[in-house]
Amino acid sequence: MKHYLDLVSISAKHHKKQNRMTRLCIVLAVFLVTVIFSMADMEMRSQMVQAIKSDGAWHAVFALDEEQGALLAARPEVKKAVRYGALNYHLDEGYQIDGIETGICGFDRELLEILPAAEILEGTFPENAGETLINEQAKNRLGLGIGDSVTLMTPQGDTIQYRITGISKETALTARYDACVLYLNAEEFQALYEGDGGEAKEMVTYVTFRSFCNIPRTIQEISTQFELKPEEVGQNAKVLMLMFQSRDPYMMGFYFVAAVLAVLVMVAGILMITSSMNSNIARRTEFFGMMRCLGATGRQVIRFVRAEALSWCKSAIPAGVLAGMAVTWILCGMLRVLSPRLFDGMPVFGVSYPGLAAGIIMGFITVLLAARMPARRAAKVSPLTAVSGNAGTVQAVKRAANTRFFKVDTSLGMHHATGSKKNFFLVTGSFAFSIILFLSFSTAIDFMYHAITPLRPGAPDFYVYSENSSNSIPMELAEQISRHSHVKRAFGRSYAVFTLPLEEQEMELTVISYEEQQFRWAQDDLLEGSFRDAVEGKGLLLAFRESNRISVGDSVVISNGGGSHEVPVVGTLGSVPFSYSTNKDVGDGEGIAICSEDLFQELFGEAGYAVIDIQFQSGVTDEEVQELRRMIEQNCGDGIAFSDRRIGNREVKGASYSMAVFLYGFLAVIALIAFFNIVNCIAMSVSARMREYGAMRAVGMTVRQLIRMVWGETMTYTFFGVVFGCLVGLPLNRLLFQTLVTSRWGDAWELPGRELLIILSVMLCSACLAVRRPARQIREMTVVDTIGTD
Amino acid sequence: MEILKVENLRKVYGSGEARVEALKGVSFSMRKGEFGAVVGVSGSGKSTLLNCIGGLDKADSGKVFLNGKDIFAMGENQRTIFRRQNIGFIFQSFHLIPELNVEQNIIFPLLLDYRRPDRERVEEMLEVLGLENRRKHLPGQLSGGQQQRVAIGRALITRPALVLADEPTGNLDSQSSQDVMDLLCKASGHYQQTVLMITHNMNLTLAASRVFRVTDGVLEELGGAQQ
Repeated sequence: MKHYLDLVSISAKHHKKQNRMTRLCIVLAVFLVTVIFSMADMEMRSQMVQAIKSDGAWHAVFALDEEQGALLAARPEVKKAVRYGALNYHLDEGYQIDGIETGICGFDRELLEILPAAEILEGTFPENAGETLINEQAKNRLGLGIGDSVTLMTPQGDTIQYRITGISKETALTARYDACVLYLNAEEFQALYEGDGGEAKEMVTYVTFRSFCNIPRTIQEISTQFELKPEEVGQNAKVLMLMFQSRDPYMMGFYFVAAVLAVLVMVAGILMITSSMNSNIARRTEFFGMMRCLGATGRQVIRFVRAEALSWCKSAIPAGVLAGMAVTWILCGMLRVLSPRLFDGMPVFGVSYPGLAAGIIMGFITVLLAARMPARRAAKVSPLTAVSGNAGTVQAVKRAANTRFFKVDTSLGMHHATGSKKNFFLVTGSFAFSIILFLSFSTAIDFMYHAITPLRPGAPDFYVYSENSSNSIPMELAEQISRHSHVKRAFGRSYAVFTLPLEEQEMELTVISYEEQQFRWAQDDLLEGSFRDAVEGKGLLLAFRESNRISVGDSVVISNGGGSHEVPVVGTLGSVPFSYSTNKDVGDGEGIAICSEDLFQELFGEAGYAVIDIQFQSGVTDEEVQELRRMIEQNCGDGIAFSDRRIGNREVKGASYSMAVFLYGFLAVIALIAFFNIVNCIAMSVSARMREYGAMRAVGMTVRQLIRMVWGETMTYTFFGVVFGCLVGLPLNRLLFQTLVTSRWGDAWELPGRELLIILSVMLCSACLAVRRPARQIREMTVVDTIGTD
Repeated sequence: MEILKVENLRKVYGSGEARVEALKGVSFSMRKGEFGAVVGVSGSGKSTLLNCIGGLDKADSGKVFLNGKDIFAMGENQRTIFRRQNIGFIFQSFHLIPELNVEQNIIFPLLLDYRRPDRERVEEMLEVLGLENRRKHLPGQLSGGQQQRVAIGRALITRPALVLADEPTGNLDSQSSQDVMDLLCKASGHYQQTVLMITHNMNLTLAASRVFRVTDGVLEELGGAQQ
């Protein structure tokens, strides 16, 4: 031993157990901060991967002419400026190949770099005049390949021939509309639409900006420079949001919520560390008194405490950071397992530098700051304290326990919790923060359910519909499709629209038939009435609308051809989620009613489907889908259309998976931290008072009474923690909900009963479990050793 | 009337080379109202003897009867309750409950029995201890002598048959030590309580009716001192 501070390491060897608890607290706090920040970072990366895959990596889009485009590209903030244009977007302008309406896109080659969805699967980009790329749909439907020629018929009746240089990957949009698309280079495209009398502004310019550029300000400047109208400027809102580059008022609200949550996490970490340091130093008042007794100055004691705190950091901060990273890796791994195709861009063992930095900085700074207060107190300890028998166990007590209302053991326990205001504030504060964090983060779950609609179980991967809205698809086809080895299930719906002659005004009602599976999915949506009656064909289920003028119990008269039928309304459904075609969602009409297939046939006399939805087994290939499609075409002939939703579904699934994994991960981490924090706080408090407990045992307190005392203390902390947590957490929950959800979707805030129940149960269970270990410690305590009699 | 009877008490700590025989077959008894003083050098086994008699520590063999009851035959819980009702402890380091004021500390053993303390008895005790004006003070606000008086009050409030004091004046100045000794003598003489006190100070043995010496775990009676 060469220096008095060497005592730090020697003392640490002898107080391993007590120091372990303080270390654990630091580990937990650092873990909490690291994991939350790392997960937030990873979630942003994951969302960015999703956003770039689905929407592209561009930042803004401007409708500019060629000259303006050149000026824009010359701006120093602009990294890439690429031209893009589309013709026959809605497949109704008359650009056709072999009689099939074909979309035409033109763009600069660089667009492929910022729009990964438009990937070239085989071949090369059409650099020269008379060259084109085609999408997979065109390749399959038209039976074309690289090197073939394709003739495009324009609405003016001209024909233009292109040589195919490559095949491009299907995008969610082209798959959904089942569209054949030609991709030309920008010059070729320009020549095409100019030849057809198009205007220069048919093309837009997609832009990516350089790093550290203030994008919103630059967009504003560009708009002013080129005098662009708001509709001539677009932003990639999701990408900009994820880059913290959005000035959209809603996004500003979103950032505000993120900042509030980050501050809350930091404060929770600071409270946890401070309370444990406080408790650790307080426990050793006698030791510091002894140091003062032996001649250590107050400054030396402060240095000693600080050195000790830093020695804890040496192991606790890396442990917390590693644990945080490990949890983040597990969550990233989960995402890759859940959806390997979507999250292949996510690193499993990626390191989140913001998370690491937050954990380390918060850990060090908090430990140093937290050590200041107790260090000063330790320095102030009178040397006399060392020789006084009552020191060394507890903090200075300023008021006596109230033994009038509760039994003495419970009263003492409560007083142990409330005796020192600072300790009470720190411990209940750290308990309360678990609730505050949980309630705050739970608003993000509400946000998720509003922002990202998870895929419904009945969502089709692929569907077939009759182009003229007739029930012309044979019913047996659904059965035939479902027998296909790659098909999980196939189900059809018939549609009929008719007018109800109601008293005040006529009402248009769309009647849809459901088979068993669709009825099963709809079961949870039943608001009132009898589901069974509908399934058995005894009546209609009405979809809920504010404007409905008929209700359960009413009867409607359906006239069809010569006959008319009176059908009762037997129930109301919350929603009818199925689409009718690619453009028209069911619900466009005034009213919707669901009935069984038998009843539909009875009412309308039609035995066919208008739509067949198909869900595939996982791992189905494009070739297998094409094979099925050919089979359907052979069976139905003309008059049917297809919509492939697989890419869109994957994108929806990916976004909701990622957000769900991280948000529920946050909540699980908060609950876990709440548990560990409560257990550790109580263990520390009991450990700090063991000598006092020994003395109590010596004067006749039973083990049971001592445990009741610990219960009293634990429940006092928990009760006040819950009260403070709710007092702060509920208004904050409301504020965040209003900022995130109400401001956008208009939903009114409601008391988060389920979330409260969960976190309060976690707190209560943790409190119960927290007493178990100290109880065992008390049972095993030997009075003589504990009070240290001579 | 015999209050305390100790029979062949043995206690060994450690094993092998570290084995220490703290008590080697100690036997003695004390009658009601007797004041015994135990002397001996540090590590001789005095505190072990006191702890075993008080049931804080368990002997390896031998028996301790208090009011005819074998305290080692009782279960842990039963022994604790028996201790708080029949034995008063006074420690060198006071061991007061810092969160309780003077009055609450004194009545603490009664509160542990969930009994309502007799006000007259509490007032009498505070008066005897000279702490009437300090009843609402916390231990941290008292001098060492006052704290030890509170500890004595706590030991006596249940009117135990036996009072065990482990160096009760070890942390006190001479005036406070004298006050403590006066109180212990009062307990023994006035309230007819049996007192067994450990001390290093031979002068204090003058107040005792019987004096014992422990040497390497062996107890011998030196005879009666001047009352």
